[in-house]
Amino acid sequence: MFHWLEKRPFFFAVAVFVVIAFAGLIEILPNFAQASRPIIGAKPYSTLELTGRLVYIKNNCNACHSQLIRPFKSETDRYGHYSMSGEYAYDRPFLWGSKRTGPDLMRVGNYRTTDWHENHMMNPPEVVPGSIMPQYPWLFKNVADLDTAYAEQLVIQKVFAVPYNTELPTADGSKVTVKLADTLEGARAEALEDAKVVAADMKNQDVKDAIAAGNVPEIVALIAYLNRLK
Amino acid sequence: MDIATLQAYGFFFFTAFLVAILYGYIYHLYSSQKKGKRDYEKYGNLALNDDINDPLVEEKSRDL
Amino acid sequence: MENRPLEYDYTVAKLFMYNAIFVGLAGMLAGVVLAWQMAFPQFNYVLGMDLAEYTNFGRLRAIHTDSVIYGFVLSAIWSTWYYVGQRVLKVSMAESKFLMFIGKAHFWIYIAASLIIVVSMQLGITSSKEYSEFEWPIDAGIVILWVLWGISIFGLIGIRREKALYISIWYYIATFLAVAMLHIFNNAEIPTYFLTGGIGNWYHSVSMYAGTNDALVQWWFGHNAVAFVLTTPIVAMSYYFLPKESGQAVYSYKLSLLAFWGLMFVYLWAGGHHLLFSTVPDWMQTMGSVFSVVLILPSWGSAINMMLTMKGEWQQVASSPLIKFMVMASTFYMFSTLEGPIQAIKSVNALAHFTDWIVGHVHDGALGWVGFMVIAALYHMAPRMFKREIYSKSLMTTQFWIQTLGVILYFTSMWIAGITQGMMWRAHDEFGNLAYSFIDTVTVLHPYYTIRAIGGTLYLVGMAMFAYNMYKTMTSSRVVEESELQNATPMGA
Repeated sequence: MFHWLEKRPFFFAVAVFVVIAFAGLIEILPNFAQASRPIIGAKPYSTLELTGRLVYIKNNCNACHSQLIRPFKSETDRYGHYSMSGEYAYDRPFLWGSKRTGPDLMRVGNYRTTDWHENHMMNPPEVVPGSIMPQYPWLFKNVADLDTAYAEQLVIQKVFAVPYNTELPTADGSKVTVKLADTLEGARAEALEDAKVVAADMKNQDVKDAIAAGNVPEIVALIAYLNRLK
Repeated sequence: MDIATLQAYGFFFFTAFLVAILYGYIYHLYSSQKKGKRDYEKYGNLALNDDINDPLVEEKSRDL
Repeated sequence: MENRPLEYDYTVAKLFMYNAIFVGLAGMLAGVVLAWQMAFPQFNYVLGMDLAEYTNFGRLRAIHTDSVIYGFVLSAIWSTWYYVGQRVLKVSMAESKFLMFIGKAHFWIYIAASLIIVVSMQLGITSSKEYSEFEWPIDAGIVILWVLWGISIFGLIGIRREKALYISIWYYIATFLAVAMLHIFNNAEIPTYFLTGGIGNWYHSVSMYAGTNDALVQWWFGHNAVAFVLTTPIVAMSYYFLPKESGQAVYSYKLSLLAFWGLMFVYLWAGGHHLLFSTVPDWMQTMGSVFSVVLILPSWGSAINMMLTMKGEWQQVASSPLIKFMVMASTFYMFSTLEGPIQAIKSVNALAHFTDWIVGHVHDGALGWVGFMVIAALYHMAPRMFKREIYSKSLMTTQFWIQTLGVILYFTSMWIAGITQGMMWRAHDEFGNLAYSFIDTVTVLHPYYTIRAIGGTLYLVGMAMFAYNMYKTMTSSRVVEESELQNATPMGA
């Protein structure tokens, strides 16, 4: 049997492939139909928020922070309601992480403010004595890449039918609409308006100057993203 | 039957099938070695006598 | 053509060997910097605040993992493939100009891809998926690379003289097929630039999967990338190099058959253990947990086969540092393939997940099993490629003990750190409130992070000794005759 296979490389390779592919076929494929439906209250990311998400990814925040609250009392006490599959329906890629060098961030928007993030990102140990998180001063200088985020929005709207410009239900019964501009200029202008709201709560002079000049610093986009994690 | 039930049945019977194959195979290996039908252990020499001029363990014949 | 006797041609194997040694040093240096950063955050700014964007933990982390996995280990795998492949098939690369060209193209495209990866990780161009951080242009390059390796494998097999494929070849084939499958499915992504008529960065892409599905595919990949880059090819090495170096045929060829097919079937199921208590369906989590425990059997099948190969020959462990490396590697293999399933048990995982215990587990496998086996394989091959004896046996022995001490410091400190932190996260006071704030559970780890950094530094020192020993072996140690290269590797004092 296998003795026969070892002398026939082609059939050997086919046999190996069938055996290793079997698990994926049974385990992963059938669940694709079920697992990506959004929960009530889930909404797509706005241009500024998605830009912030890309900043989060660019700096590999997910190397030290999870976004997955497990259903234990100790976790729900610390971070809030445990995670549900439908909450992640608009997360491409997922950012669960695999290590909690720092705390979970799944619902950080519920208990941290713009002001807190601003001070913390500039110098973490000043806000949390004993913190081993590095400082992120360059986020205050670098200009965020709104265009790439907008391109990503267009693609997910087209390919995965992500509901932009659509009324979506929320948990308290009200409706919410996440706008997606028709043009790149429109998207930039919208993101800048959102950024002004965030920057209004910030003190850093570089940030204020950049916003005044019509640019969005990475830190503003990142905070917009963190604030919406709820 | 929904897809999950099908999956469960499919999985169970395929695994049972593979377990049967595995044990049958173990039996086959050891009995054919014992009866002298086949010598598996000689293939260990593939690693030991691996100089290009060493004798072949089993020559690759043309008809394969 | 001049009339020379046919010999094995190690040109390509040598190229990959140089790269393995160089990237091994660089990747582990990055790891040691990361370890010190966690103990003392000032190390995030080693090159000054202006360059902190490129030297901080987040950016360096991917460079460390990718360079040791895909730089150090993969180079070593390919070096051994271009060595072992010829020998057990009894065919020389010199016999086929085509395969020689493919081999060289394989190497140089790999080097180009590696350089692009380092630059892109430094700039933060990443898809965020662990061990698969590369954006789509690099992913496409990896496909080309992989196809070239495939041509090399099946090309060499096609012109072989031995009819039967040796155990090691099975594992190389499995590595090739499985990684191809995993890479293609996990990196299913849509380039945004082209679909939008040129908006944003041209290299950006968005994943085909969302949320829970994305996690499922990623950890099916993540777990099995470990299986098929850090396990099966290393098993391939141990099935060849341990018997060859010790002069003992593998203990049981039949057991190796069973262990191989068992491992192929079981390994792919176990990925779910990375997602316990997450939002993937429960039955999948249970499946991941159960199969992880079953996985002990085929893993130990190979490891026990290695140990029994040494039956009656244990004096070789005392006399040869090379055998020491391989036996210690097999021991660590047994150890980490027992530790892994324990961590995959749900109640243990509830404590261990997200903590440093997982990091410790990865490293006793990576440093103890993979690192040691790779080091032994390169030490065995060098004298045969360069026709010179190993430069220094005593340096090699010293390296062995320094690195062993390093690994022990590493995993013991991470055990304590992980379990301490896991216990503190879940501790409640008498009123049912959380007993510790998060920062309490960070500051308590400082001594363990320091010990880990020392352990990692020791391992890196050992690597430097290895690189020096190899350099001297290649360039200036005593020239040996073919007859001295039969089994035990010749070594200078």
